Amino acid sequence: MKNQRAIVKKEQPNTPKVAVLKSTEKRNDLWSTLLVEVGSTQDRRAFAQLFEHFAPLLKSFAQASRQDGWFPGLAEDLVQEVMIKVWQKAGGYDPRKASATTWIYTVARNCRIDMLRRKCNTQHLPLENEDFWHEPDEETPVSLFRQKKTEEQVRKSLGQLPREQDEILRKVYLEGKSHAEASNELGLPLGTVKSRVRLGLQKLQILVSPEFREELIND
Amino acid sequence: MTNVLNHHPSIEMLVEFSAGTLDTATSICVASHLHFCASCRAEVARLDQVGAQLMAISSPERVDDSIFEEVMRKIDEGHVEEPVIEPKKGIQGFPELINKLIHDAAEMPIWKRLSKSMEVAKLFTGQSKYEVALHKICAGGTTPQHDHRGTEYTVVLKGSFSDEKSVYTEGDFIVREPGDVHQPMGAKNGECICLSAQEAPIKLTSPLGFFLNPWLRVNPA
Repeated sequence: MKNQRAIVKKEQPNTPKVAVLKSTEKRNDLWSTLLVEVGSTQDRRAFAQLFEHFAPLLKSFAQASRQDGWFPGLAEDLVQEVMIKVWQKAGGYDPRKASATTWIYTVARNCRIDMLRRKCNTQHLPLENEDFWHEPDEETPVSLFRQKKTEEQVRKSLGQLPREQDEILRKVYLEGKSHAEASNELGLPLGTVKSRVRLGLQKLQILVSPEFREELIND
Repeated sequence: MTNVLNHHPSIEMLVEFSAGTLDTATSICVASHLHFCASCRAEVARLDQVGAQLMAISSPERVDDSIFEEVMRKIDEGHVEEPVIEPKKGIQGFPELINKLIHDAAEMPIWKRLSKSMEVAKLFTGQSKYEVALHKICAGGTTPQHDHRGTEYTVVLKGSFSDEKSVYTEGDFIVREPGDVHQPMGAKNGECICLSAQEAPIKLTSPLGFFLNPWLRVNPA
């Protein structure tokens, strides 16, 4: 296998696969800069600016939820909980690995799941959702975070997705539906749901195929 | 850790994990794989952008000023505790959430002998869709050939084992569907510990203990 790959490389010296993945974005967008400031100097003005921008989006994200356990005050509670966590955890934010938008989204996703679970579960839950994302990213080589498109481009491509792919990604990420639940609701076979998700992700050029993931590690 | 692994969760599972819609037991297995697999960690990080960008382009909802004041008040009053960095405990090299399941449990999991070469310790995970457990195969141990009644996920946490199809090393993520018959064997050079989540057989009894009509479609919430 290794030999084969070496031969391919020799024959096509000008088209190494990794070159496609050129973007390890420099995060110099306003939000990422502000988040770094909050983390390094507990800058309150920077935090207020982040709040002004993200709180309304977080509220919208909370209201999009169609999961079990949804309750009327969820949106306001989520905004508070997430923004407090942002203040607490900003010191651990690494702008080389994620934009502020993505980082804050992951905090919100984890909070939302925990709040909903607490509401609709009577069993003692030994794990919080954050525990699932505990694995230290410090050990992940930055080269692996390269991608084909910058976040700005991902956002633009989202606006150009065919309606049915856009619909399914929204169901999964915003409403919080599993593939199986989405298939039930839309009256589509599970296979169709899965392939629409995949097609959507391919259009966004999010996925990196396993063959050159390996090369990125050794990069 | 940056091992290069051969057996990964499917893209669909990583998507559901990234969106937070994967059930608890399966998420425990995926998270354990991520502990060992840097490339899947980065894949999930890329997938997180989809949710993030969808959130970023959604229409903002007005947030009352009082919420900001409330947040600042909580921060000022010190209701907000600085996150405490606890000393790491548990088995070195194990995913943190597995160590948490082992050590924070109300009752410590107990190893029970299944056969001459295999032991099992059940983990309490607060869900009943899957039975989550650790399996230990002693060095060179053989296990009985078996079929699966439901889907089973396995992640190697320590050592390695093999079956008719392949050799599986630390971090490898294996899916078995009903009808997949296999016979795992522990590696000769040391014991092997695996995490597994096995789909529980559907219970056809109501909370009161009556048998439900098996023809009735049950849709667990």
